[in-house]
Amino acid sequence: MSSNRWDVVAEQESRELWIGGRGPVLVFGFSLLLSAMTYLAATNRAMNFLEQREAVNLTVQVGLAVGVLLTVVVSADAISGERERGTFESLLLTPVSRRAIVVGKLVAASTMWLACLIVTLPYLWVLGRGVAGAGQAALLTLVVGTLVALGLGGVGLLFSAWTNSNKTSLACGLLLLLVLFAPTQLPALPKTGIGEVITRVNPIGSALHYISQILVSRRNWTHDLSYLASPVVVALVVTGVLIVAGPRLVRLTAGLR
Amino acid sequence: MASIEATGLSKRYGARNALDGLTFAAEPGEVIGLLGPNGAGKTTTIRLLTTILEPSSGTFTVAGEPGDRPHRIRQRIGVLPESGGYPARQTGAEYLRYAARLFGRSRRDARSAADRLLDDVGLGDRAGTRISAYSRGMKQRLGIARALVNDPSVVFLDEPTLGLDPAGQREILATIGEIAGRRGATVVLSTHTLTEVEQVCGSVLILDHGRLRAAGPLADVVAGAGSLSAAFISLTEGAGHE
Repeated sequence: MSSNRWDVVAEQESRELWIGGRGPVLVFGFSLLLSAMTYLAATNRAMNFLEQREAVNLTVQVGLAVGVLLTVVVSADAISGERERGTFESLLLTPVSRRAIVVGKLVAASTMWLACLIVTLPYLWVLGRGVAGAGQAALLTLVVGTLVALGLGGVGLLFSAWTNSNKTSLACGLLLLLVLFAPTQLPALPKTGIGEVITRVNPIGSALHYISQILVSRRNWTHDLSYLASPVVVALVVTGVLIVAGPRLVRLTAGLR
Repeated sequence: MASIEATGLSKRYGARNALDGLTFAAEPGEVIGLLGPNGAGKTTTIRLLTTILEPSSGTFTVAGEPGDRPHRIRQRIGVLPESGGYPARQTGAEYLRYAARLFGRSRRDARSAADRLLDDVGLGDRAGTRISAYSRGMKQRLGIARALVNDPSVVFLDEPTLGLDPAGQREILATIGEIAGRRGATVVLSTHTLTEVEQVCGSVLILDHGRLRAAGPLADVVAGAGSLSAAFISLTEGAGHE
């Protein structure tokens, strides 16, 4: 039985991300973005241009979008980056199973999402005071955002395993996010037949739509639950592929047995 | 019982044979030199025996474990890869502690193993220094320490003295002799430097274009040619190397 030390891998990868790496810089940039956006939302709210719940929803959507983006950036570097830096062979020479390596790296990349969520909480509290929406928004972001981050972070890891070039895996990840985010910026999309389908298939579009239905339209959590099908399926399928195909994906050189 | 046994080991990349029918055995405590010009198949041989690559055909055992149980082989071997990278932000001690934990040691055991190994390779006083500040020789010694973190039965060293000055080379060769002598481990030493092989190896494998040209005790391979250098050139000459 090969060794299942995913926790050791995850701990070390997280340490490199947060103590010696890019994590704090990326999260600092994210907090600056949220600060600017919260200021604008609060100003608009004071001028009655933006309803309070819409301000909270906007913050959740930006938090989720940027959090997922940063998770994909980290996961897309996880394997191809190590190949480029020449450190991957040493990891492969240990008895730790390939599956454990994949799981450890995905868990470490997911800490980026959790950090973004934590940074978002004070902004939600500021914008949501008085409407009892901040707590609900935070819980909603945790549940839905974690599903999306896990699924798309896993896709980033797959790109990283399939390519030897860090630039290629990062470009693939960002392109995927662009394709998924673009339809969410079309306001009328969910109201049309084909638009409804596109929204439901798109894990980001459906997640954002589900969140806005609860936060802005004040629907019950169970009312539009079917919109979560896409994020749940993507998270389960991608995680399953990574675990099942891990031994074939995690190689010194992509595609070389 | 042989600590390494390979039978008809081959590796093909498309139409190109990187290794063609390698058959040899190595005994416990033996230092075996793996020689050959560039592209001869030395690194491929090491990557096959260390389970990084899968053979196209042939079988092998390492430390008594068959090649179809790669995780068990990896538990019992130590490897210094060719041109292996090091995480620049980690200190030498952190690097070895992480390696020890990947081999299943507890935090406390990992810490004591790292301290001991750093002392063994003469890096005890630089344990807390970031690897980015290490010289090439120090990195090679750190790599050897990492290869010993699991008390391996078989150690593979791929070009361990590459780019080192004579003093650094001497230190590495002394460490290699100690690994085989004191620890009783089999050492496979891949190198271009024939004098190193003459100093520390009891037997050699000479590869050229993926084929085994000579194998056996150093004295037997040298016999007739007069020197290892002459034997090496006569076995590999005229092959159009890189």
